[in-house]
Amino acid sequence: MSLVGRNSEAYCAAPRQPAHYGLRPNAPYVFVAAARAASVWLAFGLSSVVAAHAQTIAEKAQICSACHGDNGTPPDKATPVIAGQHQGYLYLQLRDYKNGTRANEVMASIAGALERDEMMALAEYFSKQPWPNLRQPPAGAEATASARRANAAIGCTGCHLGEYQGDGTQPRLAGQSRDYLARTMQDFRTRARANNPGMSDLMRAASEADIAPMADYLAGL
Amino acid sequence: MIPSARTYSLAAAAVFAFALSASAQQGAKQPAPAVAPAPAPVAAPAQEVVKPPAKYGDMSTVTQDLLNRAGDDGNNFLLTNGDYDQHRFYPNRQINRSNVTRLRPAWIFQTEVRESMETSPIVVNGIMYVTTSFSHVYALDARTGQELWHYKHKLGPITTYCCGPNNRGVAAYEDKVYLATLDSKLVALNAKTGAVVWQSDIADPELGYSETMAPTAVKGKILVGTNGGEYGIRGFVKAFDAKDGKLLWTFNTIPDNSVGTWAEKDATGRDMHRDIAAEKAQLAKIGDPYKTLGGGVWQNPAVDLATNRIYFVVGNPSPDLDGSLRPGDNLYTNSLVSVDLDTGNYVCHFQYIAHDVWDLDAVSPAVLVDVKDKDGKVVPGVIHAGKTGHVYVHNRSDCSLIRFSEAMVPQENMWVLPTKDGARMLPGANGGVEWSPMATDPRFGLTYAINLHQPMTYHVDSTPYPQGKLWLGGAFKVIPTEEQWGNVTAVDYNTGKIRWQVKTPQPMIGGILATAGGLVFTGEGNGWFKAYDSGTGAILWSFQAGAGVNAPPSSYTVDGKQYIVVAAGGNVQLDYKRGNAIIAFTLD
Repeated sequence: MSLVGRNSEAYCAAPRQPAHYGLRPNAPYVFVAAARAASVWLAFGLSSVVAAHAQTIAEKAQICSACHGDNGTPPDKATPVIAGQHQGYLYLQLRDYKNGTRANEVMASIAGALERDEMMALAEYFSKQPWPNLRQPPAGAEATASARRANAAIGCTGCHLGEYQGDGTQPRLAGQSRDYLARTMQDFRTRARANNPGMSDLMRAASEADIAPMADYLAGL
Repeated sequence: MIPSARTYSLAAAAVFAFALSASAQQGAKQPAPAVAPAPAPVAAPAQEVVKPPAKYGDMSTVTQDLLNRAGDDGNNFLLTNGDYDQHRFYPNRQINRSNVTRLRPAWIFQTEVRESMETSPIVVNGIMYVTTSFSHVYALDARTGQELWHYKHKLGPITTYCCGPNNRGVAAYEDKVYLATLDSKLVALNAKTGAVVWQSDIADPELGYSETMAPTAVKGKILVGTNGGEYGIRGFVKAFDAKDGKLLWTFNTIPDNSVGTWAEKDATGRDMHRDIAAEKAQLAKIGDPYKTLGGGVWQNPAVDLATNRIYFVVGNPSPDLDGSLRPGDNLYTNSLVSVDLDTGNYVCHFQYIAHDVWDLDAVSPAVLVDVKDKDGKVVPGVIHAGKTGHVYVHNRSDCSLIRFSEAMVPQENMWVLPTKDGARMLPGANGGVEWSPMATDPRFGLTYAINLHQPMTYHVDSTPYPQGKLWLGGAFKVIPTEEQWGNVTAVDYNTGKIRWQVKTPQPMIGGILATAGGLVFTGEGNGWFKAYDSGTGAILWSFQAGAGVNAPPSSYTVDGKQYIVVAAGGNVQLDYKRGNAIIAFTLD
């Protein structure tokens, strides 16, 4: 359906805003408007089409690609890479957007229209895409040392595993967008990102000063 | 690396066929496993079935009789912890104090998964079964390390696990081997081909259940516990029918009434600083928190064949550090528990730490051994090494505590309550003794444990149950400026005294093996694998494996040659260097 492309472009209309994810009191006007448009479109488009099984997963995924990137590289650095991310993790995020434990108006609209098997299928689709190279520079010696100290203290690799590759429901962090990483760690600290309180606990036990070097380090892996 | 571990496909049948033809060409010196036509569902093509030279007849069926006598079996290594008593004591003394300096690698097998290894190799009539992270199984020729087959479990999309994608091994029973998987399935494999015979669901991984332990096979049952104490599960031990995977019974490690007796002191008599009044008020308000109270069972039960009872330990309550949401003693977390093997009915329990808020729980497997009671009378006992750093000695009849050992690691500031900004207490949350099994040599009355010393601060931060997500209720934070180390400790369980202790440069995790040769074998995160004189602690031999040796060693004998075998794969939890090797040693 050509509708997908047309609407999703409009829907992701604020790619240069500083951070268009998370529910922020100062969320850009255009973003909220886009989200509303998306809800309307979704109610009409995605759910009905899905019900009829007329859309392939690749077609459904086009709405995701509008923000997360056609080739896996998101146009906005605050948007996470989902191409090559683990299926279990992506599924849980869609589930949590739908049930509201992860707050984001755009994603809530999208996920709200999806059933569990559709979430799983989309998650699988993106998990099989190659992880993009965002060409982020390796962290310097000082940031690397700080990041390693933080890992020794709170045990990041205990879940995100060696080389921060993740697995299953644990996301890959290596090579993720630096801005997204930094913002996400901050959101865990403040519990603005509320769908993994254990992760919040760990980030709160880390020092706020660790966030920048950790983001540099992980992005550069 | 990790992604590649998931991208190849299983070619077990082809590999097996290759192994068979290679063995056939080499004649009787390299007998392949005795091969019967594989039963459905996966039968090997007829031309691939080669009758091997049956040197000793078909001894590859693991009968209950063999398992009952596993502790006296000088050839096989049939159970994860050696025998049903879990002594991890190997009765062959070919490799001993006088010749261990001549111990050399016989072969090295490299798996396709370079990630944390915790497997206890099982050896049946010259065939070895090992597992890797992400729930793979390999069958190897125990003489040469040659691969016979490889099973890669196709993990479902949802895996929820703490502390690494580990697997601690298979259970062997009759003609099958059994694997419990990260996505919480129990899988029965044909021991000769690696083909799946049946698969059963254990629990829902989306709610935080996962499996890393080796199952225990006994009397037609496959026993398995669960991980998930960091995710608000309700823990259990389940028994499945070995033949078809049907669930026979479930013992919930968290009873419907988890409140207990409002114990104010731990097993050693120290005050845990509970605010009982506040807990009672909370209980009146929210009711019994049993549904999400945790209580994982990480390690194998010991089986008392005489009384038909099993003994196991139950892990921490959920959330780990936040007691405000779970008033009461949180039974049977942090406890030794015994249940009836046939029915799963409760027999007795002993709780080490009621209402734990430090995750200093019970994970190292229980060991059955005769012990002296307080009057010096020898009684059937059961012992357990805690994360607290004590070895606890119990009477097997009622689980009651007879004594506890001297602390094997420094204890400071116990039991200071966790705070928002973090309170320092020793031991750190990994112990003491983590999941690492002990080895026990009843001839000397000694049990051997490996320990961690990792200073930490304990932080509390209350959040509601997150539906199967990580639920710590705070954090444990390693204090980066403080020195960490480990030790190997021999404890006299009849007195509670430490017989000998050897410090290691890093905290220890993995396991230990004792042999009739007067040796104990254990490895370190820095790659050193060492043999100690089990009477004195003298280091008699060491080998650098190139990756962390953080798995329990096994021993076996084939064609009159004794081997020591261990995995060198490093460790996720302590971030020790990863590898993918199974290394077998023998005398040159």
